[in-house]
Amino acid sequence: MSEFAIETREVTKSFAGIQALRGVDLAVRRGDIHALLGQNGAGKSTLVKIMNGVYPAGRYGGQILLDGKPASFRSTDDARRGGVGYVPQEIEVLDQLTVAENVFAGHMGLGRALVDRAEVVRRTAGIFAEMGVAINPNAVVAALRGAQRHLVMIARAISAKPSVLMLDEPTSSLSAQEVTALFAVLRRLKAQGKTIIYITHRLPEVLDICDRATVLRDGRVGDEFDRADFDQDRFIYAMSGHRLQQLFPARADAPRDRVMLEVAGLTVPGHTGAIHGARDVSFQVRAGEILGLAGLLGSGRSEILHGIYGRSPATGTIRVDGQALRIASPAEARAAGIALLTEDRKHDGLLFNQTIGANITIGNLSALSTRGILRPERERSAILTALRELSVKAPSPTASPAQLSGGNQQKLLFARVLMRMPRILLLDEPTKGVDAATRAEIYRLIVELAGQGVALVIVSSELEEVIGLSDRVLTVADGRIVGGFARGEGDEERVMRDVAQAQARDLAAVQAG
Amino acid sequence: MAEANVTPSRGAQPTGSRKILMQLVTGGEVGVIAALVLLTLVFWLMEPAFLSQRNVRAILAVVSFVGIIAIGQTILMVAGEFDLSVGSVAGLSAVVAAKLMTAAALPVPLAVLGGLGVGLGLGLVNGLVVVRLGIPAFIQTLGVLFVGQGLIQVVTGGYPVYPLPEAVSAFGRANLVWGLGWSFVFFLAALLVADFVLRRTVVGRNMYATGGNREVARLVGINTNRYKIAAFMTVGGLASVAGMFVMADMATATTTVGSGWELTVIAGVVVGGVSLFGGAGTVIGGVIGILLLRVVQSGLVIIGVDANWQQIAVGVIMVLAVGIDILRRRYIASGRTA
Ligand SMILES: Nc1ncnc2c1ncn2[C@@H]1O[C@H](COP(=O)(O)OP(=O)(O)OP(=O)(O)O)[C@@H](O)[C@H]1O
Ligand SMILES: [Mg+2]
Repeated sequence: MSEFAIETREVTKSFAGIQALRGVDLAVRRGDIHALLGQNGAGKSTLVKIMNGVYPAGRYGGQILLDGKPASFRSTDDARRGGVGYVPQEIEVLDQLTVAENVFAGHMGLGRALVDRAEVVRRTAGIFAEMGVAINPNAVVAALRGAQRHLVMIARAISAKPSVLMLDEPTSSLSAQEVTALFAVLRRLKAQGKTIIYITHRLPEVLDICDRATVLRDGRVGDEFDRADFDQDRFIYAMSGHRLQQLFPARADAPRDRVMLEVAGLTVPGHTGAIHGARDVSFQVRAGEILGLAGLLGSGRSEILHGIYGRSPATGTIRVDGQALRIASPAEARAAGIALLTEDRKHDGLLFNQTIGANITIGNLSALSTRGILRPERERSAILTALRELSVKAPSPTASPAQLSGGNQQKLLFARVLMRMPRILLLDEPTKGVDAATRAEIYRLIVELAGQGVALVIVSSELEEVIGLSDRVLTVADGRIVGGFARGEGDEERVMRDVAQAQARDLAAVQAG
Repeated sequence: MAEANVTPSRGAQPTGSRKILMQLVTGGEVGVIAALVLLTLVFWLMEPAFLSQRNVRAILAVVSFVGIIAIGQTILMVAGEFDLSVGSVAGLSAVVAAKLMTAAALPVPLAVLGGLGVGLGLGLVNGLVVVRLGIPAFIQTLGVLFVGQGLIQVVTGGYPVYPLPEAVSAFGRANLVWGLGWSFVFFLAALLVADFVLRRTVVGRNMYATGGNREVARLVGINTNRYKIAAFMTVGGLASVAGMFVMADMATATTTVGSGWELTVIAGVVVGGVSLFGGAGTVIGGVIGILLLRVVQSGLVIIGVDANWQQIAVGVIMVLAVGIDILRRRYIASGRTA
């Protein structure tokens, strides 16, 4: 038995002339949780896709060794049979099937010829129980939100009992509680002698559970760290070549007095499955204020944003800049100067049939046209400006967004919502999948927007982010606002305590009723 | 990591010929155009009469009728739907217009407006039902295909409508360019306008967004329902225009005007690279696809191939074209250049 569970030798890969990997030697010790770090576009996803047969043997240069022996996978199924599991960065679920059917998709028979549905549901429930998540195995996946879909994908990979498991940014949309539960699962797998390759942009997680870290930079191994040498600043330096001054920029100006957005009694119906809608939510956001919505996955934070934006039917009153509005569709919300950054890039963010440039300008074309006719030179310069301002790493503005790395796709969506300079900006997971350096840039951008008088509402599964950015934080649990505090007056524990108390109250109410 | 390791392994860099191949397969309409040129050459070499004025004119005349509808169908497919009722709508519009100018003795322009109204109206119905009731376009427009065929019989009692007013037959006989008439001129004009709209206008861009991902389009503020309904009405309107051109051309409104066109049109635009799944394709591509199928049919006739084989050829070409297109997409998506 080799010391290393999986290794790559001199692995190279290029896409239509773009060299994504330039000879990567990676050796992952058996039983380790091995972090793979790097900036957006460094080649992390490409490397794990090669180790998983997504790019089959022959489509890349170099060699893969599984347990010391050369391996060549022809497909992901091939890799799965070889004991290599994979959770992709972009969720690929079958929308019309149930959660259980997704977890066991392609293996519904559990090795037998006939499908025993009850057994499939039971095993799915078992995996979820082990993962510590509450998703109904019988829910249809179409009804789940982004993060829950991600959990389904993770359950799917675990169900095959792989000996090497690769997770590509599994926590990018999970909140603290789910992350804790996931880590418990990973530790258990590790204790069973399984090997894990773990990609993340959340560096504290690396300190938390990883044993070794490899930093990729521009398609090469930039640096390698043993657990003893782990240090966030050194990671960032190895990834970007820069030292990071300060993650959350200081607010230069205070929020104005003018109330820009007022929500009263907002109720948004929930979806089937495990999601609660928003129930009787009221709050105000002033011009230049950053309001954070903290809470667990599925607590209704996204639904509140969707209700305001007219994406989901909602009741209650919404006032924009003092004026009561009835917002029945996203078009009306946009007309009122509201913009929304959605959480799930693949599902309701990007247009994969359009170029990178058109993805930025879609919905913003009125300023780039005269009497309905596009002005190509104006559009092109707007696109180039946007790409430059957010430093998007793209082969060209006319390439497909499918060719971008995950973090760069996120920046495209940011460019889209910013192009029309909204008065009210609703951000659902603004830094999902974004690397540390860019994350700091996005924070700077958010604070800058607030300085210009934009009212911002931010939902993030990372409590540190919500608390670090927001002037005021509201805690959401079960579709209701259960607590809140101003900048400097609360911390992550306070949020968790508010959530726990609310849950205890609900439980007591159920038992009493 | 040593610099020497940068040297890519065998096959890691696209070679020259590969690059050219890449450009060919990634450029949308290039493939169809190449196929069109190649087939034309082959038929011409086998039978020089294939490129005789008469034959070319005949091909263009047919293409102008079906092509008018293909323009609308392309727009609709870009918006993510398709319409199987175009043949029926064309036929029904023709007989309604004919009845209005003969039996009802309305002035010709009014009768033509009546025919156009039939097309726009059925397009509106198709759009509303698909968008508001969520009934799949396949079912709804298939339904209208049958209803339309029935109505044609009801309106005409099963007999062709003629004689039509002299103005109509004169219009149909008119020779404008190189022996081609008004239908060809209209076809060219509609082609240019539609291509411009899809390529260069906000409406066109929003159409692609609607067909690409309806939810994303809605979230960026596009009224996707309105776009889809408008696209259905465009197809309906253009189908009725095509139907009435055929009527003028024959100086009669027969009950078979437009029959079978729905499949010819869809097969053609699909060959031309318009995606059945929405959000991809161009008007030029769709029309070239129609032209390609017509060239094949005409070429097979000229070199003396049995009529049954023409059908088989059309079927094979359509499946091949779509198959190649799917492979092309997969090739681009996976970046398979090692
Ligand atoms: N299908 C593709 N076609 C063309 N280029 C691609 C394709 N997939 C990836 N690339 C390019 O390869 C490089 C590496 O991408 P990769 O997705 O591996 O980055 P990553 O390290 O996972 O980044 P992120 O943290 O943003 O997910 C990027 O420059 C990207 O644009
Ligand atoms: Mg990635």
